[in-house]
Amino acid sequence: MESKHYDVVIVGSGISGSVIAKTLTNAGKKVLILEAGLQAGIALEGEAAYNVYQDYIRTFYNAPAKVPNSPYPDLKDAPSIDVLQIQKLQPGQVPPPGYLVQKGPLPFASDCMRGPGGTTMHWLGTTLRMLPNDFRMKSVYDQNVDWPISYEHLKPFYEMAELEIGVSGNVQDQHYPGIGPDFFGEDYVYPMRKIPQSYMDGLISKKTDRLKVTVNDKTYQLSCISTPQGRNSVPNTRYAYSKIIWDKTKKKLRLAKADQYNNIPSLWDNYTGERCEGNASCVPICPVQAKYNALKTLKKANKENLEVSTRSVVSRIIIDKKNKRVEGIEYKRYENPGEPEHTNLTAKGTIYVLAASAIENAKILLASDAANTSDQVGRNLMDHLVMLTWGLSKEKVYPYRGPGSTTNIPTFRDGEFRKEHAAWISPIDNWGWSWPVFSPGSDVSAAIANGLFGKALRDHINEVVTRQVLLHFEVEQSPEPENRVTIDPAYKDALGNYKPVIHYSVSDYMLKSFEAAKIVSDQIFEANDIEDHTVYNPVTDPDYVVYKGQGYTFRGAGHIVGTHRMGFTKDDSVVDKDQRCWDHDNLFLAGCGNMPTLGTSNPTLTMTALAFNVAENILKQL
Amino acid sequence: MKPEVDPKNLFLEISVLLTGFNNAELYATGMFDTYYHALQANTGQANFAYFFEEVEKILLENRNEPEKINQAITSRLMQPSSYNGLAGSIITMWYTGNWGNDVIDGQAYVQGLVWDAAQTHPPGAKQPGFGSWSMPPL
Repeated sequence: MESKHYDVVIVGSGISGSVIAKTLTNAGKKVLILEAGLQAGIALEGEAAYNVYQDYIRTFYNAPAKVPNSPYPDLKDAPSIDVLQIQKLQPGQVPPPGYLVQKGPLPFASDCMRGPGGTTMHWLGTTLRMLPNDFRMKSVYDQNVDWPISYEHLKPFYEMAELEIGVSGNVQDQHYPGIGPDFFGEDYVYPMRKIPQSYMDGLISKKTDRLKVTVNDKTYQLSCISTPQGRNSVPNTRYAYSKIIWDKTKKKLRLAKADQYNNIPSLWDNYTGERCEGNASCVPICPVQAKYNALKTLKKANKENLEVSTRSVVSRIIIDKKNKRVEGIEYKRYENPGEPEHTNLTAKGTIYVLAASAIENAKILLASDAANTSDQVGRNLMDHLVMLTWGLSKEKVYPYRGPGSTTNIPTFRDGEFRKEHAAWISPIDNWGWSWPVFSPGSDVSAAIANGLFGKALRDHINEVVTRQVLLHFEVEQSPEPENRVTIDPAYKDALGNYKPVIHYSVSDYMLKSFEAAKIVSDQIFEANDIEDHTVYNPVTDPDYVVYKGQGYTFRGAGHIVGTHRMGFTKDDSVVDKDQRCWDHDNLFLAGCGNMPTLGTSNPTLTMTALAFNVAENILKQL
Repeated sequence: MKPEVDPKNLFLEISVLLTGFNNAELYATGMFDTYYHALQANTGQANFAYFFEEVEKILLENRNEPEKINQAITSRLMQPSSYNGLAGSIITMWYTGNWGNDVIDGQAYVQGLVWDAAQTHPPGAKQPGFGSWSMPPL
């Protein structure tokens, strides 16, 4: 394989890699994808796709801790990050188990999935666009940095992303702070109608929509809106596009008109997954594939122009010392994922794309001494810091039903307060207290410990579990140079590749948001007659922080962003506005690592829009 | 244990009393035999025998007196010191499909009664259909 020359070599088959591969192969370019995971997982149709997916579901059922990566294989030769393994490295001691080497001071508690389809296999599916001010934080609020591109630049790519993923949503509901009337195009609709909001959303919205809350001496009127999501509902007959095509003459990607939009069903069968069926397990796995995953995109690639090499773990980029161009990508191909034996191979192409996740991309660049004139590779690691609050509602709200979240409170996504503290979004969670305290299993053990059994136990579970309310406050983390991925020859995996070493903390700009968000949460709970049961435990919570004497716990959102940011000059960033490395003109980076700031949207939609933009830039360059 | 009493019958009777779900509901999970085997496999022989002797006594002594049976269960079975917490383990098994922290098998997870008690379904199985979540449960 190493002798063959491709137009483009892509590392990773997640959403960025798949979008780029699909776009390029359909425009006639020859593409190779290097994928670290197993061959079985790349099956795109029929029985093979069905069988591997049923294996994932069985593994999920059998997993004692049903964490996001639990259905998917964790391979010795290409390890995934495990959110259960976040112990800090102690100087002089044997490193604790886990792919990440956690140097602290706080553990980084987010994961991603390393294998075919990437993290879209277990993403929740929330598809909110970022807001115009998210792209100009420095100019508007004197915080963080500006992006070298604007919301307006990204807008047509957002539309492509919404078609590709298949977004269900109601544009009329989408009122966010700080947006103008042209945030969506005129008459724009999403491909499918909104996913029905939960029964609980209805009850909580009744007393929360238009509720006035006071925080830091200012009054805000809250709103509750439906959340656009990448899962199938009913096609909107007013939506008039079916695919994204490369316009050779204009040298642009554009949406192609069509009579109707067709839902994208499961990989294995056109009659499964056409609608969400309410499995309430989007994270970690949608059993019917009504939720989008990147393999659906890869399936639409031109197969004649695409090769996928699985079991191929990239270790290094080879750079021509004179002209600084990438000459090849070295990878290790293992036979058995549990054994260190492998073959060393090199892939060659005209253009190269790293789309292996924010942490993996940074690691590969650092291992290659590449793209780092700015010294920004690996820096500015970010995530949404999820502060949870939970309580018992007087009225039964019947959680544990429907997609993870169908309604959000967007009020604090933008505003003058961003000069003082970070913005946040508040999804209303449909899955009770499962995240913070492992309900309902923990409710059963607590009841047994209290001596409850029989009908009293059954009634008690019914009384408690049906009233559980959970709110998220997903706080935007700022880019900070010391939050970073590094490498160290002392820490390598079974194949001899580097393990990512993580340095991570949070600063006052975010801590102040926890304080403000808790004040807002208290007022929402009071208005809704919800008894607060939130506990932030200084001993058992890994990411426990203190601000002005008050303790808060945040959790990782799985939104890993910022490790190879885009910027204005080769001194301030790793990639330019085209997402091309300043240092190497035939190397593009793709994924959340390019994002200079995080905003308050779950980043997948923005990453997908950026991936279409990368694909267009590559087509222009080829 | 008296040879004429089938411990399987005792397991069913005590499971009904411990879980608050009736015979038909327990049988409908399809897990009865699996759970009985899990119980045997995870419990020391002696403890297993003592537990069911006690169950049998409680049932015989208090026939047709549900209040008394419940009192006896509370004082003689539900104490953490009683039979190594076996009554609690049986409840956990029916409610969550787990023995301790381990999932007994994939179907055990799917058939956990806690989801029925909470008027919902296990995440990833027994899906109630598009839009059902926007209404109160049936």
